Amino acid sequence: MGGLRRREMMTLREIKKLDTRIKAIRKASQELKELARGIPAVGCNADRILASVKMLEINITDVLPHLK
Amino acid sequence: MKPTTKTTPAYWNPIVETMPLERVRDLQVKKFKRILKWAYERSKFHRKLYQEAGIKPGDIRSYGDVAKVPKVEKAMMRDIQRKDPFPYGDALCVPLEEVTEFRQTSGTTGTPVYQPDTWQDWEWWAESWAYLLYAQGYRNTDRVFLPFGYNIFVAFWAGHYAAEKIGCEVVPGGVLDTEARILKMQELRATAMMATPTYVLGMADTARKKLGIDPARDLWVRKITCAGEPGASIPSTKKRIEEAWGAKVYDHIGATEIGAWGFECTAQPGGLHVNEALFLVQLEDLETGEIIEGPGRKGKVVITALDRIAQPCIRFDSKDVAEWAEEPCSCGRTFRIIKGGVVGRSDDITKIKGVLVAPSAIEEVVRSIKGLGNEFEIVVTKKGDLDDITLKVEILPDEEKNRETILLHLKDQLRLKTNLGYNIEVHPYSSLPRYEVKAKRFKDLRKTG
Repeated sequence: MGGLRRREMMTLREIKKLDTRIKAIRKASQELKELARGIPAVGCNADRILASVKMLEINITDVLPHLK
Repeated sequence: MKPTTKTTPAYWNPIVETMPLERVRDLQVKKFKRILKWAYERSKFHRKLYQEAGIKPGDIRSYGDVAKVPKVEKAMMRDIQRKDPFPYGDALCVPLEEVTEFRQTSGTTGTPVYQPDTWQDWEWWAESWAYLLYAQGYRNTDRVFLPFGYNIFVAFWAGHYAAEKIGCEVVPGGVLDTEARILKMQELRATAMMATPTYVLGMADTARKKLGIDPARDLWVRKITCAGEPGASIPSTKKRIEEAWGAKVYDHIGATEIGAWGFECTAQPGGLHVNEALFLVQLEDLETGEIIEGPGRKGKVVITALDRIAQPCIRFDSKDVAEWAEEPCSCGRTFRIIKGGVVGRSDDITKIKGVLVAPSAIEEVVRSIKGLGNEFEIVVTKKGDLDDITLKVEILPDEEKNRETILLHLKDQLRLKTNLGYNIEVHPYSSLPRYEVKAKRFKDLRKTG
């Protein structure tokens, strides 16, 4: 990760931890959506969380296999 | 400025923005295959296009295979729209009920194209803008003013949401007129704003002439993000704006059908970074179609938005013309740089008297001449068999006494920089059209008479 200052660097292990948490949030959000039948206030907000989770996946999960 | 909290990281996503380019390339190919499969399986339009070319998603195995996939042009999107699923037609890859956003292109080059987006796509729009605004120094200490009409054009909508995402305080300058916008910016001590270069120059003019406000001295704006026109990448235009506002001016490049695919960073490297995290950008030779990987040759920009799902943008022929820069940027990003920004559009770059000319080259000359106003217009006609080119300009009222010198200098510079002779018409100050968005200063009347 050339160009980064040392204190900004994150280890591969730390990035893997991020990925694990992202996967857990996706699973929890999907479960929330399934459980929310009949409660739009839950289902629609779960959809919004899932859209944000996708951005986390784009930034971390998709990139992870391409790091050393 | 709002209170400073602490030192912030240099990059929105340091992991991908500083990753070696060969790994970024692998990431892009993986994502390209994913979006191609997505479109093939869900859109009749895409499936037909690829079947006719004998391409299946599984055929794409490497970066070299990407160019085998047929390109999509704006005209193709116009043809399929206003049909079912109404109004988007069969390029739509999600059920209509999942579409949450409607925008349309400006119509500068023809009938506007509709753009559906899901909520996820809208998050993605804000994400692409977050990369660019963060690279331009936007932080949660900024109060950002948007002097923008908030309408059916995407323009600065995504900039608004991205600024929020970063943590900035956003002031929507919606239906206020120019004077009211300037006064509100002064009242709130806005530190940043986003607008077209033409409008930013016009605002400075209005501030000085109608309100007696010198933006550089009396306002707090210290960074301006421009979009919609190439002006902020044209050195003389950038210099005029920076001097008028006492602010750094940063360019960005994007389109409704594509997304915000390129941005200038605070290092101002004389070009725009491609957002390699979200887009696969290729330059194709204007005549042979060969992919250009290195500096030294201009090519047509073909772009894939790697994560956009409602109406995918796969190998979209943007008609923009650009060239890769030789040197990497001192900011540390590995994202490649488009030298000098987009130099023109392939449908604007034209031969006049046998010379290949981009309107941006003429803008660079006009805006570099002290004493000329910001507005100008280029009109190309035929006189018999010969091309005839007229440049309409305005001289600043205070500079009328120098008219002869200014015009001589203009003619010399035009000859030097564009290899052409022009009929110069001087129009009264403030008489040429003023634009808020998408200025149309180049008129080629050779075909239409």
